[in-house]
Amino acid sequence: MNELGYTATIEEMRELADVLLKVGTMLMSAGANTGRVRNTVNRISEAFGHSVEQHITQRSIMLTMLDDNGSSIFTSVRVTPHHVINFKTISGISKMSWSLVADQWTIPKIREELKRLEELPHYPRSQVLTLVGLAGAGFCSLADGKPLDLAFTFVASAVGLYVRQESLKAKFNPYMAVYFAAFVASLIAGSSSKLGLSDSQNHAYVTSVLFLIPGVPLINSFSDILDGNVQNGVTRGFVGFLISFSIALGILTSALIYQF
Amino acid sequence: MDWIFILLYKSFWGGIAALGFAALFNVPVRSFFHIFLFGGIGVLIKFTLLHYTFNIAFASLAGAVAIGFLSIPAAHYKHTPPLIFYIPAVIPMIPGILAYRMILGLITLTGNPKSPTFNTTLLETVNYGLKVVFILISLSVGVVIPMLILRKESVKDIKVLFAKK
Repeated sequence: MNELGYTATIEEMRELADVLLKVGTMLMSAGANTGRVRNTVNRISEAFGHSVEQHITQRSIMLTMLDDNGSSIFTSVRVTPHHVINFKTISGISKMSWSLVADQWTIPKIREELKRLEELPHYPRSQVLTLVGLAGAGFCSLADGKPLDLAFTFVASAVGLYVRQESLKAKFNPYMAVYFAAFVASLIAGSSSKLGLSDSQNHAYVTSVLFLIPGVPLINSFSDILDGNVQNGVTRGFVGFLISFSIALGILTSALIYQF
Repeated sequence: MDWIFILLYKSFWGGIAALGFAALFNVPVRSFFHIFLFGGIGVLIKFTLLHYTFNIAFASLAGAVAIGFLSIPAAHYKHTPPLIFYIPAVIPMIPGILAYRMILGLITLTGNPKSPTFNTTLLETVNYGLKVVFILISLSVGVVIPMLILRKESVKDIKVLFAKK
């Protein structure tokens, strides 16, 4: 015990709060729902014998360290980086949060693990493009597309994703990137029926943009609302709505060109 | 028997679609096979129920609930949170064609209300739109229903058979 009556020094607590905020913001930007962020941060802080209160929003996390009587010692805030869905991060942090409870990790070890998780590579671009192209073909098949439609959606989805990645690299607004991707994908897929190669009611045309659907924001929106984090849920739902709207605009632009 | 082959064919492609999203979301390699399987099972359940003339929203809900339940043992077995399985796996059931028809209908509805097809378009658009909304709610709520029923904060607190230590 020090002169303030805490078992840990203020410096130790600041360090812990810093790591906790780092964990929280990493989870949030990787696409975890609010309940998961809260639970994971609480689990880690409890492993160090501290309790914390959190205020979690889409773009920042605020955390208050509490003393043994439950009154606040200090509060810190950290801005969440741009949301880039990365399930490897979520999985890695979840695994870490359990083993650090079991094996009593130190703070430097947690920092090391977080650094390792941040540096984990994404899958090679060619593989992701191929798999997303196949996913497009899958959507087309679910909508009763013919083999030729499947081939067109494969190309359209892969090129669409390429356009989205390039637009994001060129620092376009994320919604603009979705719009460009939807426009290019539907333009490519729509050519099949425009050239008279396919007669199956534009199935390729519609399903080629489905790789853009905002699955994570929409599903997390409902998990957050059911969990009581209504504000975050509504925010996520609105983000999902805006992405869907961008997709619709993209597909309607090419419909205007093709006169469908 | 013919519809069963079509069903299996579609389920296969449903699994592939789920895999595409797994790659997009940078899922750990160890969970790829389960995502493929669950995506296929969700589509299988949805189209089986549709074949027996169930409502499309109910069919989607059943598929999503099945995926949610399957994700819990998979999470134990693969040491990965369940959302990593259920989010890519339910995405193939999202009603893209219906959503497109709804948007197209909405655009048409901004045109001349005196046109002879206006009433038909209005009815169709409302129908498609309601289907889309209810299917989306069914999917998002369906995958978390298992956790709501089992009333645990973490899947680690749920006992499953054959959990790997």
